[in-house]
Amino acid sequence: MTHDFLDPAVLGKLLGLELNARQPMIGNVAGRHRSPVRGSALEFAQYRKYVPGDDTRRLDWRTWGRTDRYYIKEFEADTNLRLCLIVDTSGSMGYGEPGSTRLDYARRLAGTLAYLAAQQGDATGLYSGSAGFQKETPPRRGPRHLGVLLDQIAGLESAGETGLIQAIHDAAEKIPQRALIVILSDLLFPPEPLREAFQHLRFRKHDVSLFHLLDRQEIDFKFDRPTRFLDLEGGPSLLADPQLIQRRYREAVQRYLGAIDEIVNHSHVDYHRVFLDEPYDQVLARFLLGRNPKTSRSAR
Amino acid sequence: MSFLQPILLVGLPLALLPVIIHLINQHRHRTVRWAAMMFLLDAKKMTKGLARLRQLLILAMRVLAIAALVFAASRPLAGGWIGLAGGKADTLVILLDRSASMEQRNLETGESKRSAALERLAGLVDTTGHHSEIILVDSATLSPIVLTDAQALNDLPETGATATAANIPAMLRTALDYLETREAGRTDMWLVSDLRQSDWNPGSGEWETLRADLAARESLRLFLLAFPGIEQENLSLAIREAKRQRAPEGWRLVLDLVLKRQGPGAESGDSEVPVEFTINGTRTVENFRVSGPELVLLGHSLPLSPGNERGWGRLDLPADDNPADNTAFFVFDEPAPRKTVILSDDPLSAEAIRAAAASPTEPGTTCEALVLPSNAVAQVPWQETALLFWHAPLPQSGSADATLLQQHVASGRSLVLLPPSDEGGAGLFGVKWGDWIGGSEEPLPVDWWRTETGLLANTRSGAPLPVAELGVFKTRAFSGEILPLLRLKDDHTMIARVVTEAGEGSSGSSSGSVYLWGTLPRADHSNLATEGVAFFVMVHRALEAGANAVSKARSLVAGKGVLGDDPEVRLLDGLDPDGAPVSPGLAAGAWESGPAGGETRLLALNRPESEDDPRVLTSEALETLLAGVDYRRIDDEVGSGSSLASEVWRAFLVAMALALLVEAVLCLPPRAEGETPNPLKSAT
Repeated sequence: MTHDFLDPAVLGKLLGLELNARQPMIGNVAGRHRSPVRGSALEFAQYRKYVPGDDTRRLDWRTWGRTDRYYIKEFEADTNLRLCLIVDTSGSMGYGEPGSTRLDYARRLAGTLAYLAAQQGDATGLYSGSAGFQKETPPRRGPRHLGVLLDQIAGLESAGETGLIQAIHDAAEKIPQRALIVILSDLLFPPEPLREAFQHLRFRKHDVSLFHLLDRQEIDFKFDRPTRFLDLEGGPSLLADPQLIQRRYREAVQRYLGAIDEIVNHSHVDYHRVFLDEPYDQVLARFLLGRNPKTSRSAR
Repeated sequence: MSFLQPILLVGLPLALLPVIIHLINQHRHRTVRWAAMMFLLDAKKMTKGLARLRQLLILAMRVLAIAALVFAASRPLAGGWIGLAGGKADTLVILLDRSASMEQRNLETGESKRSAALERLAGLVDTTGHHSEIILVDSATLSPIVLTDAQALNDLPETGATATAANIPAMLRTALDYLETREAGRTDMWLVSDLRQSDWNPGSGEWETLRADLAARESLRLFLLAFPGIEQENLSLAIREAKRQRAPEGWRLVLDLVLKRQGPGAESGDSEVPVEFTINGTRTVENFRVSGPELVLLGHSLPLSPGNERGWGRLDLPADDNPADNTAFFVFDEPAPRKTVILSDDPLSAEAIRAAAASPTEPGTTCEALVLPSNAVAQVPWQETALLFWHAPLPQSGSADATLLQQHVASGRSLVLLPPSDEGGAGLFGVKWGDWIGGSEEPLPVDWWRTETGLLANTRSGAPLPVAELGVFKTRAFSGEILPLLRLKDDHTMIARVVTEAGEGSSGSSSGSVYLWGTLPRADHSNLATEGVAFFVMVHRALEAGANAVSKARSLVAGKGVLGDDPEVRLLDGLDPDGAPVSPGLAAGAWESGPAGGETRLLALNRPESEDDPRVLTSEALETLLAGVDYRRIDDEVGSGSSLASEVWRAFLVAMALALLVEAVLCLPPRAEGETPNPLKSAT
């Protein structure tokens, strides 16, 4: 299966950027990400008082010499990261010209992120689906798994109503340890259920990122004559004179985006509103740089 | 609504262009695969009501604008009061009431009801374009006239002022009969009237068939142009009788006058009315005090100077808003011998009648009576006979005897039909003898008699005749269209007057009267001869009525043919309110007939007294008369200056401009484009 959604030039450009989690991860092998468990890495973490049973080899004798008290010296433990991609495959993700649909855009983002994570030695998994059809690939490491994952990304098809909320809840239940959850969706459904879904992920201590994929026409709604709108998710079509309803349409979009903003802020979700006419490499670069502690601090 | 260019109305479907364009636009929509249906549904739901209404209004305004443009181009017409529904008719029939009451004028403009109606109708025809045929039926002649030009309405003698009464049912019948014979197509019938009750004759039996015939003509539209305004403080004057009498100091003229007041103050208050008397050119003025609505002056006497024993005269009131009822004419001459002929084979009855008829009632009059056998019709001096008693079976209609009797009555003379003892004979004048009633020794008591008019009316002083003292033992019933004058017990009519087509048979009518007496003046039938007062009065009243026809000075009601066929008729003095030519006999005036220098007769023509009755038909009465008839009533006022039809294309252009303006306002965006909410700015 061809993976034409991967652009070597983009991959080459982004390989220099690390994919970091915003919080410590719990991995099963050593890696480049912080772990909440103290380990034997070179980076000092903290001192704590000695309690009976501690390994005496980790006593800090210099501190004992200065203070006549026993302290244990702890170091950060570096581990790998689990990147879980949740891709919405509802019918509305098929919006756009063939070859440059919203789902195609999501493929590019997901495939590139999976490739970058694999290059870092991190595990990647994929959860996708629409209502009544869910597909999942638990996170694993290794080039072979990456090939399988990319094949699955390439084989995603948009159809039916959205099942994103259910997919998020399922992922939250099935991913056993802390992971970086990246959601790619148009979120074209009433946003309120998202709040509970994000809280579910946060409760599981996952680091949640959201790529909200929108087309500018969906926001601006600029049409010059009566148009019949065919629902991509199979609902009834609608004939309307856009000039008559444009104002009300924009008001509805405004209320919707306001609600999304409120939910993602409240849930501490790393939210990225992406328009399909934006180069995806720039979107990813912005995402990666925002997660790099050094660059994000300097930017801040 | 009428249009001067109705052909342009074919462009009216163009008004649907905006709707068609809208539908085409809707049909030519493009199809888009769309994901954000949730916003679309929200927006559509919120804009469903007002936006839809706005769109419909815009469409309606565009349709209205085009329709108004097409209407304006078609040059629509509308009346001053109403729009004249429908298109142009093939035939226009004008029924013109030319009665004397239609001469009421607006004192400021001098325009009468009749002339105002003519002007309106001429304007209507001019504005709406020529009808293929214009028919005029006037109340005075009842003869349909075909007009070629609407302007002729103002100049024709058939539209001038008259002193006649109108017979609206007869006018409608004439018009309907004319339309029936001509098979006219779509017809507009304009009836011009001041709605006087006396002209409309609501009691006429003709109305029922008229209603049916009018309703049956679907192609006929009836318009009633009404001028029902009541005169303001109008005075009218009428002469009921004018006769010459001998007095010890010489001849004198005796007049019976009626002065009527109309208007708000007519019921109360006194007023001094100066009346100008003109006798043979000599004028005098006399003042009369009028209390209440009417002053009846009986026996007003004026001395006649030597040499003025024969002549004419007129009475004039001061000018008011109806000049047609301010003047009355009279003529006077030596009274002709009042000759009575009794055709009877019953000597007792004939002698009683002869004795009564031959006795003069006034000094200066000569009464003669001639008794002939019933089969001596040929010996009757018809020209000199004022009153004929026919005591024989009624002749067969169409027979020589019947024709002679009909001519006798038609010439204004009186006829009394007495009951034949045996066979009643055929029917004549619409009446027929029935069976004998009574015969016992007990007289049939008088139950009722007519006191206001007729042979048994009260005397001038108002005292009743001693009719109750009459005893009738035997009377013969009769049937037909009659006006009862005396009824006995058990509703047996004993004396009656035949109702003729010529009218009420009053003294002013050109037609004479026919009376029916059910009993005879002989002892075994009644005590008419012995209790002779009532009998004497009846004979002389019938004689007096007939004597007018043989008199050399005769007073008649103006009307068509009233002057007869005499080619030598000369106008001595007359009313000519508009200076327009009027057919002889239709205008009030004093006339002379006969060869100049030879023996001539004087004639005074006046309007009927019914024209002085101001009562008009109420709306309810009119609705009743024309029930089931599709008609439109248009009330007008004299001097209002309005017109029946005028071009109203400007109004349509204004409507178009307004529609376009409203459309433009509705098409404006609800808010400027820059202020349209930007979802991205607001949300981030």
